[in-house]
Amino acid sequence: MTTGPETAADKRGEAGEVARLLSYVAILAVSAWLFFEAGSLPTSRWDVLGAGAFPQLVFGVLALLALAAIVGALRGLRPAALADFGAATLDWLKRRYLVVALLALFGIYLAVLPLAGFSPATFVFLLAAQFLLLPRRPRTIAVALVLAVVFSFGLNELFASVFNVFLPRGGF
Amino acid sequence: MLDSLLLGAGQIFTLSTLVFMFLGSIAGIIAAAIPGFTVTMAIILTLPLTFAMPPLQGIAVMLSVYVGGYTGGLISAALLGIPGTPSAMATTFDAFPMARAGQPGRALSLGVWASFFGTLISTAVLIVAAPPLAIIAVKLGPWEYFSLIVFALTIIASLVASSLLRGLMAGAIGLAISTVGPDPMMGRPRFDFGVEMLAPGLPFLVVLIGIFAISQLVSEVEDARAVRSGTALTTRDIDFQNWAVIREIVMRPVNLVRSSVVGVLVGALPGAGGSIANLLAYDQAKRASKTPEKFGTGIPEGVVASEAGNSATAGGGLIPMIALGIPGSAVDAILMASLMVHGISVGPRLIMDHADLVYGMFIAMVVASLMMLVVCLASMRLFLRVTEIPKWAIVPAVIVCCVVGSFALNNRVTDLYLLGFIGLAGYALKSLDYPLAPLVLGVILGPIAETNLRRALQTDADWTVFLTRPVSLLLLVAAVLSVAWAIWKHKKSSLPNETG
Repeated sequence: MTTGPETAADKRGEAGEVARLLSYVAILAVSAWLFFEAGSLPTSRWDVLGAGAFPQLVFGVLALLALAAIVGALRGLRPAALADFGAATLDWLKRRYLVVALLALFGIYLAVLPLAGFSPATFVFLLAAQFLLLPRRPRTIAVALVLAVVFSFGLNELFASVFNVFLPRGGF
Repeated sequence: MLDSLLLGAGQIFTLSTLVFMFLGSIAGIIAAAIPGFTVTMAIILTLPLTFAMPPLQGIAVMLSVYVGGYTGGLISAALLGIPGTPSAMATTFDAFPMARAGQPGRALSLGVWASFFGTLISTAVLIVAAPPLAIIAVKLGPWEYFSLIVFALTIIASLVASSLLRGLMAGAIGLAISTVGPDPMMGRPRFDFGVEMLAPGLPFLVVLIGIFAISQLVSEVEDARAVRSGTALTTRDIDFQNWAVIREIVMRPVNLVRSSVVGVLVGALPGAGGSIANLLAYDQAKRASKTPEKFGTGIPEGVVASEAGNSATAGGGLIPMIALGIPGSAVDAILMASLMVHGISVGPRLIMDHADLVYGMFIAMVVASLMMLVVCLASMRLFLRVTEIPKWAIVPAVIVCCVVGSFALNNRVTDLYLLGFIGLAGYALKSLDYPLAPLVLGVILGPIAETNLRRALQTDADWTVFLTRPVSLLLLVAAVLSVAWAIWKHKKSSLPNETG
């Protein structure tokens, strides 16, 4: 039992528990929905179980596990933890700003890749991602440029000429 | 057997295979030497490069990466005190103090030779154990197979997860992912909701790359300060003293053999790979030692136990994969998937239908361990530089390699969107402390479990047959016991907190 004043680490720990609780609720909701969805899959006279039985078994077990996890999580949480959750999540995201930015760049890269083609899209992605992460010194910027060329145009050439795999060429 | 051995050897001892295996060894060592980059990720990145190769050549290259990877983690563990891979965790306990005490060469040599002997011992066990086990496994019916998969998923959940419930949920999520797309018996579409990307099902390799590689890469940039700085290495002259080290290991064989056996057994358990084996082997060595208080101060027994233990899981993990078609770890699941990409069905009949391939794999393991030894001893000083590669350079480049690997599998752009979604979901699950290994095993074992369950009930619609067939009952009891053991372990570990 905590007797002293709450530390930032304690609050972060509780926020983590709340986040896990929310994930259990989401898993319960999705598995319950898909459990019923699987029930509507047609059966066959040749197959005792049909296409929906195994998914029903899996989603049923998943829903029960999520329910048990929710009960366990609710027993250990203080009501105040829910109130602190929003602020703690924002703090968590702020501390991981590089992760958020990298994921955003990755998403844009995947969306643009089929349109722009592998080499140009990858070149821009690599430059942007490396610029986001690197300490800005002339030498590191030069290395980043070389890496961007090698892993975009070079990789495309390697896969096309050695492995006969043709990466997306773009729609423009 | 001799014919198959010679056929397998004929395919391994070709110039192209040996060259690719040599490159694989180097790639495995380099990848694992970089802190934060696991053996699993190295294998994932190698996979697309093997699509164009014949099946045995492809798997031989991946085995070289595998064996090299288990040793590569030693470099940063010994010199920086940072395990290159989770399987080198216990190596830091003694190799790092030994290196700090002015003997970095001895620490590295001990680790390399212990890894070499550990891999050889595990390969010998694999050659002896896998064929008879496969003969027994062929006689198993769908009831036993389904129960075996239930056991595999419960034991992995209980071994790798900090919370048993989250471990079991991760396994069930993996099974759920495997139900998307055509059902494995009748080909009836399921859960595609009219979305083209979901109609053919979720390709296992894309799920694997997203879950393991993307989530790991993204989490590598969580600490902004560490990303933008480099870590200095001990790169002064290193004396390897090979003969003295070999004598040191061979003169005390009990520690080596015990640690290797621990590695083989842990490797053979589904889901329990090198990350558990090195700690367990180290713990056993400490318990058996007359001077346990010296462990952690830089003694050779500690380095040997950890490195022999983690390397021996390579052979151990292949036993259930070859004999039963059940991967022993995420890496074995990728090896299994690479065979499936070539249209080879992995199961107990593998050794009967493709004996040359299996015996070729045995030979490849021995060759790979020899190559690892040669590469490490000849160029260890060069590999030391690898740990200096900054994250800002390597993370985006490896993300691009993941994109290429995902696309090369089916030449489908929609697989890339899937990679993005799954990478994001993988990072979320990782951040929420869900273990990823049960999830991946669930994805690969899902269709096998479903097919066997439906076959079992087609033969006899009575569910109690699962409990009346002795082997099936034994496996289900083992599954229940593994869950009970995990609950007991959890209660035991939380007891001091409650009373204190």
